[in-house]
Parts: sequence; structure tokens; C-alpha cells
Amino acid sequence: MIEENLSIWSLIANASLLVQGVMAILFIASVMSWVMIIQRGLYLRSAQRGFREFEDAFWSGVDLNSLYTDLTQKAKQQGGTDGIENVFRSGFREFNRLTQGDKADPDAVMEGADRAMRVALSREDEKLNISLPFLASVASVSPYIGLFGTVWGIMNSFRGLAMVQQATLATVAPGISEALIATAMGLFAAIPAVIAYNRYAALVEMTNSNYETFAEEFSSILHRQVHAH
Amino acid sequence: MRNSLSYSVAILLSLVLHIALVGALFVNWQPETERVIMQPQYIEAKLVELAPKKKAPVPKAKPKASPKKPKVDLAKKKREEKKRLAKIAAQKKAAEKERLRKEQLAKAEQERKEQQRLEELRRQQQETEFAEALAAEQALINAQQDEQAANSYRQLIQQRLSENWSRPPSARLGMETLIRIRLVPTGRVVGVTVLKSSGDSAFDRSVEQAALKAEQFVELQGMEPRLFEKRFRQVDVAFSPEDLRL
Repeated sequence: MIEENLSIWSLIANASLLVQGVMAILFIASVMSWVMIIQRGLYLRSAQRGFREFEDAFWSGVDLNSLYTDLTQKAKQQGGTDGIENVFRSGFREFNRLTQGDKADPDAVMEGADRAMRVALSREDEKLNISLPFLASVASVSPYIGLFGTVWGIMNSFRGLAMVQQATLATVAPGISEALIATAMGLFAAIPAVIAYNRYAALVEMTNSNYETFAEEFSSILHRQVHAH
Repeated sequence: MRNSLSYSVAILLSLVLHIALVGALFVNWQPETERVIMQPQYIEAKLVELAPKKKAPVPKAKPKASPKKPKVDLAKKKREEKKRLAKIAAQKKAAEKERLRKEQLAKAEQERKEQQRLEELRRQQQETEFAEALAAEQALINAQQDEQAANSYRQLIQQRLSENWSRPPSARLGMETLIRIRLVPTGRVVGVTVLKSSGDSAFDRSVEQAALKAEQFVELQGMEPRLFEKRFRQVDVAFSPEDLRL
């Protein structure tokens, strides 16, 4: 009987070129999706933390002007701010500019500040959503790629089976086993991507609604201020 | 700035994760790869036969003991001789002694030669035994291979016959017909005889027809002529409808 080494490595090494290509693609997809998962995780967590810290600072009764200058200082030091701070800064900046003139129309001021905050919000939304589509694609496509590799491998091993006179299970088993590795790798790449995508999508939505709520609250404060004069 | 930092951290972590996984796979994590090699039973039976062969070299030890006995006798004789010689004159004693010594030497020489001869004999015997054992083993291996080849051909013939066999309606469970097919080295069927009838002539005829319809087993042309002559000049096949319910 032929001594056959059925370790996973020899199976991969003996696979046909196309199946090996499929495995390589899946491996790269897995590496990249994990890069995205970790990076997005860090980013979203820092965004959440940033939001909480900013809210604490905002509602602590501090003067809005001094808060604004602090944040501008911080932005200068770090080369830009993130998240909710951007919304606040752009809204407040616009408000200040518009109220600079003596005869500022209160409605026009509010409209300008709101617009500035809307723009900042949609920028933040974009930032939060970066590379989530990639995770979604990996999650949905990599099982199919793996399945393709498997089908191809099994097809070949059955073609080999047709050539031999006396077919035993041992003549097809290694081929099928090798082909199934492709499916396993596809699932291996897809499952974390699915979980991460779902979790991060929910997190992004929550963060966004937090931002929007804050923008509304801030807008009402500005409104009060502009009409109090 | 903060983004690029988090990206490099992410890339590093992801690579470490994957490399660790690949390493784990590489080192020892192999899900149930232990193979159970199933030996067909006929090979096992042959292997059992190997055991008695090892007993053969045992008788070698026996011949060693015999040449030692004369030595004891010799010593006794020598002592008696000495006693007798002591009474005789001194000159004679020396001469006799000399003679005895020579005799002894000659005897020892003879003994040594004898022993050598025995040794030689034993070695030869051992060698022949070894050669025999080797030949037997080779023959056994050949027989095994023949057996395997024959089995595969036999299977082929059976398969072909059962394909060509159309069972008559009168076939019943338990019926058995033994036929002998005569073949020529091209694989062609040149004759079919019923060795043991099932008792149902229609059934016998259908069996005969199956063999005739198979006509030629082309695959037999690839067989070694020796094997063909030994096993496939005449092939006996038993037909019985096992899969019938009746």
C-alpha cells in the first residue's frame, strides 16, 4: 500500500494550481479583513470614548468659548480632531463668524450653523463607515470563492476516478479532502468578517445617532443664545 | 496620524494572528490524520505461515557436544600408561614419552581438523538454510502478488459475467450452478461446461449464455503468461441469485 501523508500541508502542496490560487486569495482576504476588523475596532472604540469625554466636558458648565479654544489648541497639537469635536467646532465656528456682524439675522445664523454641523456630521459618518463595505464583501463572497475551489477540486478528483479501473475510496479521498480545505478557508475568512460587520454596523449607527442628538442639542443652545439678544 | 498608527497596529496584529495559526497547523495540529491501513484478509493468512520458518536454524547447536568425549578417555589412558612406564627402564621411558607426546599431538591435530570440518559443514548448512528461507520468502511474495493480480482479474471476470447474465424467471434463492470456462491467452472464451447443475435447466442455460455472451475478456491479455497458465486456463465460476427475494 502506498504510504500517504495526509497532513494538511501536503494536501495543500499537492492541490491543483487553481485550488492553490483560491486558497491564496482566501488567505489574503482573511489577513486583510482582520486588519480592518482590528483597525475599525480601535477607531470606533476611540470614537465612543471621545464622545463620552466630550459630552462630560460640554455639560460640565464650561464656557463654550473656552471649550472652543481648548479644542482648537488640541487640533493644532494633534493635527486635527475626530468625531463629535469636529461637529462642535465647525458649528460653533460658523456661529461665531455669523454673529460677528452687528446686524445678524437670527434665522440666517441658525441656518448657517446647522448647515455647517450637517456637513461635519456627514464627514464623520463617512469616516466611521470606512472599510465596512470591504468587510461586507469578504463576508459574503469568500464562502463562494471557497466553494468554487472545492467544486473544482472535486471535479478533478472525479475525473481522475474515471481513469482508473478499480475505483476505491482511497483514490478520491485525498482529492476531496484537499478540495474541502478551500471551503474551510472560505468560512474561516467569512465568519469573523460577518460578525465584525454586524457589530460595527450597529456601533456606527449608534455613534451616528449620538452625534446627531448632540448636534440637535447644541443647535437648541445656539438658538436660545441668538434669540436672547 | 492617529489613523496610520492604528492601521500599523492592526496590520501587525492580523499578521501575528495568521502566522500563529499557520504555525500551529504546521507544528502539530492535524485533525485525525492517523491512518488505519486495512489489510485484505488473504494477506494476513499468508503472514501467519511465515512463523514456522524461524524454527529451522535451531538444530545447529547439537553437533558441538560429541567431539569432546574422547579427551577424557585419553587422559585416563595416559595415566595408566604412565604407571606402567614407570616400572620400565628409564631410557625406554623417555622414548615412550616422546612417542606418546607425538601421538597426542597427532590426535589433537586430527581432532582439530574434525572440528573444522564440522564447522565448515555447519556453515554450509546454515547458508543453504538461509538461501532456502530467502527463496521461500521470495516465492511467498510472488505468490502474494500473483494472488492479488489473480483476484483483480477474477473480480473483473465476475463483474463481466454478472453484467451479461439475465436471470430467468424460474430462478430461486439457493440455486447454484457451477460452470467451468475455458479461456485462451487472448482472453477469448472457447468453451463452457456445466460442472454442477442447479437442477433447473433454464437457469443452467442462462448461466451458460452469460459466459458465452461475455465472449472475450480483453483485459486478460495484459496478464503474465505464467499466471494465466496457472490460474486462468480454466476458470470455475459459481452462479447463485443472492439478491432475489424468492
